[in-house]
Amino acid sequence: MTLGDAPTTAMSTVFSERRADLVVTARNMRAEGVISLTLADPTGAKLPAWTPGAHIDVLLDDTVVRQYSLCGSPGDQHNWRIGVLLDPGGRGGSRRVHETMNVGDAVAVRGPRNHFPLLAADRYVSIAGGIGIAPMLPMLEAATDAGAAWQLFYGGRSRESMAFVGELARYGDRVTLWPEDTRGMLPLDEILSSPSDGVLIYCCGPEGLLTATERQCAAWPVGALHVERFAAKPQPEAAVGGDSAFEVVCRRSGVTVMVPPDKSIIEVLEENGVSVLSSCLEGVCGTCETAVLAGTPDHRDSLLTQEERETNEYMMVCVGRALSDRLELDL
Amino acid sequence: MKASLGRDNYPLNCWYVAATSDEVNASLLARQLLDRRVVLFRQSTGEIAALDDRCAHRAVPLSLGSLVDDQVVCAYHGFTYASTGACVRVPSQTHVPYGARVRSYPVRERPPFVWVWLGNVARSRSVEPPDVPELRESGWTTLGGSLQMAANYMLLHDNALDRTHFPYVHPHRIHRGYVEDPPPLRIEVAETTVSYTRTFSPAPLADWQHDATGLAADITYTQRETGTFVSPALHVDEMDILGPEGDSRVFRGMFVRAFTPIDPAHTMIIWRAARNYALQDESVTERLREVYEGTMVEDQPLLETIQATAPDSIGSGVSAAADAAAIRAYQIVDALLSEERVRSTTR
Repeated sequence: MTLGDAPTTAMSTVFSERRADLVVTARNMRAEGVISLTLADPTGAKLPAWTPGAHIDVLLDDTVVRQYSLCGSPGDQHNWRIGVLLDPGGRGGSRRVHETMNVGDAVAVRGPRNHFPLLAADRYVSIAGGIGIAPMLPMLEAATDAGAAWQLFYGGRSRESMAFVGELARYGDRVTLWPEDTRGMLPLDEILSSPSDGVLIYCCGPEGLLTATERQCAAWPVGALHVERFAAKPQPEAAVGGDSAFEVVCRRSGVTVMVPPDKSIIEVLEENGVSVLSSCLEGVCGTCETAVLAGTPDHRDSLLTQEERETNEYMMVCVGRALSDRLELDL
Repeated sequence: MKASLGRDNYPLNCWYVAATSDEVNASLLARQLLDRRVVLFRQSTGEIAALDDRCAHRAVPLSLGSLVDDQVVCAYHGFTYASTGACVRVPSQTHVPYGARVRSYPVRERPPFVWVWLGNVARSRSVEPPDVPELRESGWTTLGGSLQMAANYMLLHDNALDRTHFPYVHPHRIHRGYVEDPPPLRIEVAETTVSYTRTFSPAPLADWQHDATGLAADITYTQRETGTFVSPALHVDEMDILGPEGDSRVFRGMFVRAFTPIDPAHTMIIWRAARNYALQDESVTERLREVYEGTMVEDQPLLETIQATAPDSIGSGVSAAADAAAIRAYQIVDALLSEERVRSTTR
């Protein structure tokens, strides 16, 4: 072989997320309807590093995947902890976890990944509703370590339904508990009454709380609010006549496809041999975030902030579509 | 979203290799890390201390001074510092001026590497440095060295995660599978790491592989390669040659590179290689030294030229499909950098 010989066959690339088979090493009742599970490698091997705000996929079977925030300490490289709220009205994932996962059971997981990272700041306001407290626990630990000032407002149906209250006790009056049955809804208008530079707001909880917080933050500096959703944000009805077809050009792989009204970008790409990393297929997990090189995406995810949407630099190709006739993606 | 890559693009909240265990003794070792001067020394307890290499008094590098009873004595006026960085003696007066201290940095020794944390001290407690036990355990023979390059550390990560430059830059170091039958690259991502793996169809060995393992040159072997971006500070390659039929041995070579930014345009590479075969054979060690060192030296002029001519291009050029792992590494670093960008309450 001489210098400059080109490969005679093209090389293909297959993307996947780190998958691991773990085992439940502890299961604890944390509050009414909330359990925590501690997961570890069965051989005692180290788990991949993560940062506060990260979540993992729990693969209940080939088709049922649920996302759970890691709520232990990032310094513990051998154990991951998740909090799981039993949602009787849900799609059944949390019920399966509650009913079937016990100490010693195997659990397949993917990740971790993080779309709710704790950015550096001098001050934080954290707003948690119900099981939305989970990602806040490692964040508050990190914020405390970093010497930042912070306050947590934690709302729940009733005191009995609020998990991890005991662990929060060490933070004293930086934590405000707000059980709805005795105190009503979280007073977001008071909590967020004075917009300020240099304060970051982190919010995780049910859709009602997220929407109300987003509304309350309209007067805050762009980029101050960070939210995490575990269910897709309700989308406005599709325009009259439904969705239309558009063209997608994958610049790196040199593939051009037509996306019909009844299929997602990701489905069509996969049919055409373009491998895209994805997980939830609902626009909540952020795994399929893709850079947009040209064209205007129709963002339908629950993840990008308004500010990020307007730049049109990235989109989630599992739910997103196009406002232009053609999209060019970095794939 | 994109942090300004290519300039001051190294996360501070990360463990970096400052030295190897054998380099840190009961004497003062000066190192430039992340554009800061740091002095390292080993105390009589065996623990290593890392201090700002700059006297609080008149800014003389403390590494010019001397180490006396685990304390650093400045060469200029004899200001004396404990391993915590506190000034404990000023010879010209009886008391120590208020606030006289130098910054001390958290250190973790995981032989053969000495890791230092230059970021927020409290954050260091919840992060452990990576560890490669094969570099010190029995059953492995290691070799290594260090090399400085006039290139940003991300150019080195990018280069380490990329196999497609081998036929062009290192053509005499690869086996035929690289060119004739490159297998799919499987990329595995997690929040802060990315790795690629590929398994080649059986092919004859490259000359150096045959020299090192002693395996026959006239038959074919299955080979597997994995490269992992472990953190912004560490890249680990594993190369396995599976024994021929009837031989269940796996000839594994590990090539571990710590990339420590000296400043935005210079990087110190502290490297180690380990193998689980020919453990006692010095000539194999020397053959492998030439391969590992030679590969880096062959990359050096290209990477230094990119740095010299187009430093702003780092992390922003057109990418090919085979760059997927490197792109992910840039994204990981980008996310770490944006987490560190402080929003201040004072404008």
